[in-house]
Amino acid sequence: MAALPRRIIKETQRLMQEPVPGISAVPSETNARYFHVIVTGPEDSPFEGGLFKLELFLPEDYPMSAPKVRFITKIYHPNIDRLGRICLDILKDKWSPALQIRTVLLSIQALLSAPNPDDPLANDVAELWKVNESEAIRNAKEWTRRYAMDN
Amino acid sequence: MEQFESLLTCCVCLDRFRNPKLLPCQHSYCMEPCMDGLVDYVRRQVKCPECRAEHRIPYQGVQGFPTNVTLQRFLELHAQIAGELPDPTAGQVMERCNVCSEKAYCALCAHCDKKVCDDCKSAHMEVLRREIARINNQIRRGVNRLQDILSVVERNTTNLQTNCAAVAGEVDEIHKRLSKALKDRTDFLRNEIDRYLATELRNLTNLKDNLELELSNIQSNCDLADKYMNDDVDWEDTELVDTKEIFLKTVEFLRNFDYEAGDYNRRVRFIMTHDPNQLVLHVASYGELNITHPHTYANSLQPSQGLTRSKSDHRLATQFRQQEDAKGYTENDEPILGGRKFGEKRPPPPERHTRDYGATDDYSGYESEHRPSRRFRSRFVRSHQQDNDSDTEQPSRVVKSENKEKEKEKVADTEDATRGPLSGIFRLSDCPRVMQRILDVDSGKKKEKKEVPPPPKPVQPTPQPARRPPTQRQQSEDDEITRLKRQNKGAASSQEPDRATQRNTEEERNAITRKPPTPAREASSDGESDESVGTLQRTQRKNSTTIPKPTVATRRPSASETPSTHRPAPRAPSTESSASTESSGSAVKHTGAILTIAELKAKYSPTGISPKPASRFFSAGNERTTTSTTNGTAGGAQRVQSRFIGSQRPTPAPAPAEQAHEDSDTSSEEETESSEESEEEPATQRKPESQAMARSDIGPLLARSSNARNDTQENKSKDPPAQSRYRTRQPAPPEEEPTSRYGASGSSYSRYGSRPKDDEMTSSIDDDTKYPTARSRYLALKERRNRLARSKSSHTGFGAGDDDEADDPVSPTTASPSAYLAARYGSGTGGSELSRSRSSHALKSRESSPERPVTGEKDGAALSSWARYLKNKYGSRGKDRDSSGTSSSTARRLSLGLPLRSANELASSDDDSKNAAGSPISPTAATAAVAGFAAAGSSPRSQYLQKRRLQFSVGSRGSEPGYFTWPRGIAVGPDNTMVVADSSNHRVQVFDMNGIFIKEFGQYGSGEGEFDCLAGVAVNRIGQYIIADRYNHRIQVFDPAGRFLRSFGSQGTGDGKFNYPWGITTDALGFIYVCDKENHRVQVFQSDGTFVGKFGSFGSKLGQLEHPHYIAVSSTNRVLVSDSNNHRIQVFDVNGRVLSSFGEEGSEDGQFKFPRGVAVDDQGYIVVADSGNNRIQIFHPDGTFLRAFGSWGSSDGEFKGLEGIAVMSGGNIIVCDRENHRVQVF
Repeated sequence: MAALPRRIIKETQRLMQEPVPGISAVPSETNARYFHVIVTGPEDSPFEGGLFKLELFLPEDYPMSAPKVRFITKIYHPNIDRLGRICLDILKDKWSPALQIRTVLLSIQALLSAPNPDDPLANDVAELWKVNESEAIRNAKEWTRRYAMDN
Repeated sequence: MEQFESLLTCCVCLDRFRNPKLLPCQHSYCMEPCMDGLVDYVRRQVKCPECRAEHRIPYQGVQGFPTNVTLQRFLELHAQIAGELPDPTAGQVMERCNVCSEKAYCALCAHCDKKVCDDCKSAHMEVLRREIARINNQIRRGVNRLQDILSVVERNTTNLQTNCAAVAGEVDEIHKRLSKALKDRTDFLRNEIDRYLATELRNLTNLKDNLELELSNIQSNCDLADKYMNDDVDWEDTELVDTKEIFLKTVEFLRNFDYEAGDYNRRVRFIMTHDPNQLVLHVASYGELNITHPHTYANSLQPSQGLTRSKSDHRLATQFRQQEDAKGYTENDEPILGGRKFGEKRPPPPERHTRDYGATDDYSGYESEHRPSRRFRSRFVRSHQQDNDSDTEQPSRVVKSENKEKEKEKVADTEDATRGPLSGIFRLSDCPRVMQRILDVDSGKKKEKKEVPPPPKPVQPTPQPARRPPTQRQQSEDDEITRLKRQNKGAASSQEPDRATQRNTEEERNAITRKPPTPAREASSDGESDESVGTLQRTQRKNSTTIPKPTVATRRPSASETPSTHRPAPRAPSTESSASTESSGSAVKHTGAILTIAELKAKYSPTGISPKPASRFFSAGNERTTTSTTNGTAGGAQRVQSRFIGSQRPTPAPAPAEQAHEDSDTSSEEETESSEESEEEPATQRKPESQAMARSDIGPLLARSSNARNDTQENKSKDPPAQSRYRTRQPAPPEEEPTSRYGASGSSYSRYGSRPKDDEMTSSIDDDTKYPTARSRYLALKERRNRLARSKSSHTGFGAGDDDEADDPVSPTTASPSAYLAARYGSGTGGSELSRSRSSHALKSRESSPERPVTGEKDGAALSSWARYLKNKYGSRGKDRDSSGTSSSTARRLSLGLPLRSANELASSDDDSKNAAGSPISPTAATAAVAGFAAAGSSPRSQYLQKRRLQFSVGSRGSEPGYFTWPRGIAVGPDNTMVVADSSNHRVQVFDMNGIFIKEFGQYGSGEGEFDCLAGVAVNRIGQYIIADRYNHRIQVFDPAGRFLRSFGSQGTGDGKFNYPWGITTDALGFIYVCDKENHRVQVFQSDGTFVGKFGSFGSKLGQLEHPHYIAVSSTNRVLVSDSNNHRIQVFDVNGRVLSSFGEEGSEDGQFKFPRGVAVDDQGYIVVADSGNNRIQIFHPDGTFLRAFGSWGSSDGEFKGLEGIAVMSGGNIIVCDRENHRVQVF
């Protein structure tokens, strides 16, 4: 149980002091590397008005490796599967230590605004998104209302 | 500004750049850990986090990337502007944690002594917290032990008090009884005397009346017969017949009546039923305090019985014990926490000193006994002397203590305030750090608490066994001794207790940092302060000596060592203070202390007084001269003098000489006058006392000397016969002879003075003119008195040879009894002389005359005490040992005597130098003596130069008479007898000057008259044998017949204790000098064993000693010590001040290897048994090399391991050739 690196502490402090609009990330009380994240659905997107819960975990070698981020709230999105796993390049091979929690979450928020069905994770959603985008957007709105707006 | 800030922030660690490295893409990152973490080791690439550009890593690694200097400047600039504190980790380098092997900023963990990262450290701290809790439980369970002990101690305290009170009561009771008995008996005797006087007086008066009647009758008859028995008157025949008958009867009566003798013979005699000396001895030592050593304390509080062992956590217990051992915990001096402040960082592990064992080795190891077991070591084993090791330890310790002091400067010294004196444990809550922590917690700074709770763990959690009580006890014991001593000395100094307590408290503290106890009375003297410094050094040394040991030693020895460590300290003040007591006492009584001449000067000049010591010394010096004269050389004394005073020796001034003549001329006329005046002198306490002594007739000599003045008074009023009674009555045992000679009583010198033959030393004159100092005055005074006495006696023309011996009955009918007596009772004349000089003041002196009477008064007292002392010393078996001379008072006087003697000799020898001219009576004798001296003086050098050939050798290995087993000490006795300490035969053998066996005495054992590997022997001037009984750690004294007289000393380091005493010698006054080998010092005693002084301490500096083996005292009172392990001979004066030293290690001329025996002949030539070089070296009196001879081997003139050496009066050198088991004579 290593002590928290200074970077994590700094990031956490900054997140608390200067929260990014539409994003809140609160570390777990039991584990400073585990964050409860809530991302609002971006405007002009099918996810608008929804509050999406995510979990974010900073691995041991963070920032040398990317944080693990997962949607807890169900979401209809071609790059996010049913388990909430996110297909985002900066969370994978494009990770850079220069990135931070806030940048990651902003990227995720951006991903919600601009789904990329060409690099799908949820194939069915991506298929629909490509074939029938309006249908897909309706589904997305429906899911948002159902899962991300209730409470 | 914010952007500026962000520009200075590494985007990887989000911190200020630390050693920013510039990538080719122009992005910068901290070298560690950021850039490090970016490295792709497989591809040896680094990928820029910002632009994802990939760069090849230089050959040297990431540090091969250039440093972004610009950025660094900006960083510095920013730091300046913002006033930021420098990065705490700035200077640090990341290391692998020794526990988790992660790379991090590591710090030393106090728990595991490894460098670990913060995480592991906190984990360790957690462990420690748990352990503390556990141990705390143990402590809680075990603390009642301490409480028990506490109650025991309290009980013991009361016991001690009651015990002491009881003993004190007993002593008081005894004292009462004794004094009552004494008083009763005295009263009884006096009454008897009074009664006897009354009856006798009545008878005598009766007789007188009758006689007068008879006389008048007869007278009238005669007249009548003349007038009327003629033809003028008619007488009847019957009348005439009757008349004739009456006249016939008268004739018959006149013829027959014989009143027995003109003397009054029916004298009362006072006869002691016991030998008064014995009686006094018994009374003086009528009881002892038998103090059992408190081993029980030490044992009962042994740490080994602490709960650590018995209780659950074995690991902790062992760990703790290891720690203990490693740290020398058994020493209380070792501060807890290793001397750190609570919570301070631990010091880096101390460097180990490599110890040079070899350098200090005794080359023939079997002789260096550090403990008895070593006795049996092979003789070629090199001894690794543990004591020596301790020295190397010392410096590091000093450093440590210095550090500690520095620490103390910044932290309030609260810890020490509550430090437990026994264990060194202090109250944690008093520790500033702890207080801070607790304060933090209480003030609710929860956050800090996280980082806080530092383990108070290293505080020795196990109960610290109390070891101080023994010390305490020891001290009190010592105090007791001191007190007794003081009582004995008769003068209590009030400051002593204070100092003792002060000492105690100091002791309680950390002994290492102990400050030198500054002697309260520095006013007194160099000598004293020297001594105190010496003591201090000794104590310090001792402390440090014992410290390193415990690693090896088990707990017990070290525990018992601790008290001994502390012993010197309390003792030291006692000796010091006794000295001071004496000196302060001397202001009143003028008994003096170990005073240097300078001190005397200081002391006597302001008060303006007192030749009293002078008078003593005077007589002693006189004695000296006399002896030398009997040897046929007057030069002896002269030599003495010249060495002593060196440059300041005055050239005889003619004027004083004239004065001397005047003096002697007038003396007899003035005699009456002077004695009258002396009567007028105010009487002090002394006077009645001494009168009493005279009355009791206990010590005729004493009475004579002390009462001398009174006697002279009495002489005038009483009949001389009354005086002579003392003398005739006086028994004449041979032992007493020296007493009387020494005896300061004027009789001795006046007697000698009256001998024409000795006149070369009479009437010497020394004037103040020669001595501008106070001392000179003092000396002059002395001399004058002396001169007076002599000249007076010679003037009375008293029969020269008649009264050579003090014991000779004096015929009371001599021509001028009063003059004679005046001469004889010299101090009386001294006093009178003084008073006369006051009145007539014919004598030059600068002294203000009012001082004189005082001086004279004191003379009497001084003389008496001196006489007493001498008697104690030499007349222990003598009949007339005086009653009041207790050993302690002797000690006082003796201590006085050492330095004073020199002054005295100075005076007397000055006399000598002039006497040849000044003596009107026998110039021939004087010149003859001088000639003799000259002859003698020239001879030794050539004599020594010729020495090479063995004259003869005595003995070989064996235990029969005349054989030796490792002979060691050797001495020359009376008649040039050779006295050999036959060490491993545990006996002393005596041979005559030709090597013929005379006698032996002693056998193995530890009882009286038994030896255990005796080492040194000495023979004092009255033929007593003084033996250093080495393994019994004592000195034994035997009478000339080899009968045991007394012994003194035991093993230890205190005053009067020994650790393997080795060489021994005595000087002309009978002081005993002992080489206390393993204590690295020389101790000086009176011949009765009373401790007088000591000098030397362990070390190689001037005045320090390392294994001193043999010792010799020259006729000039220089003390030569063979400082064996320092390979040199050191020369001290009798006060222990080092005068010079010569020789160093080597085999060249004048160099030594472990010199052993040292001897000095009467010319001052020094003979050294250069043991390691197997040769004998001879040095000039000034220590320059004269010659050497001898080599290794077993034939004649060859040696194997030299020991003691001595020089016969004829110049023959005798030496103990140890491994050849023989004595060789050259």
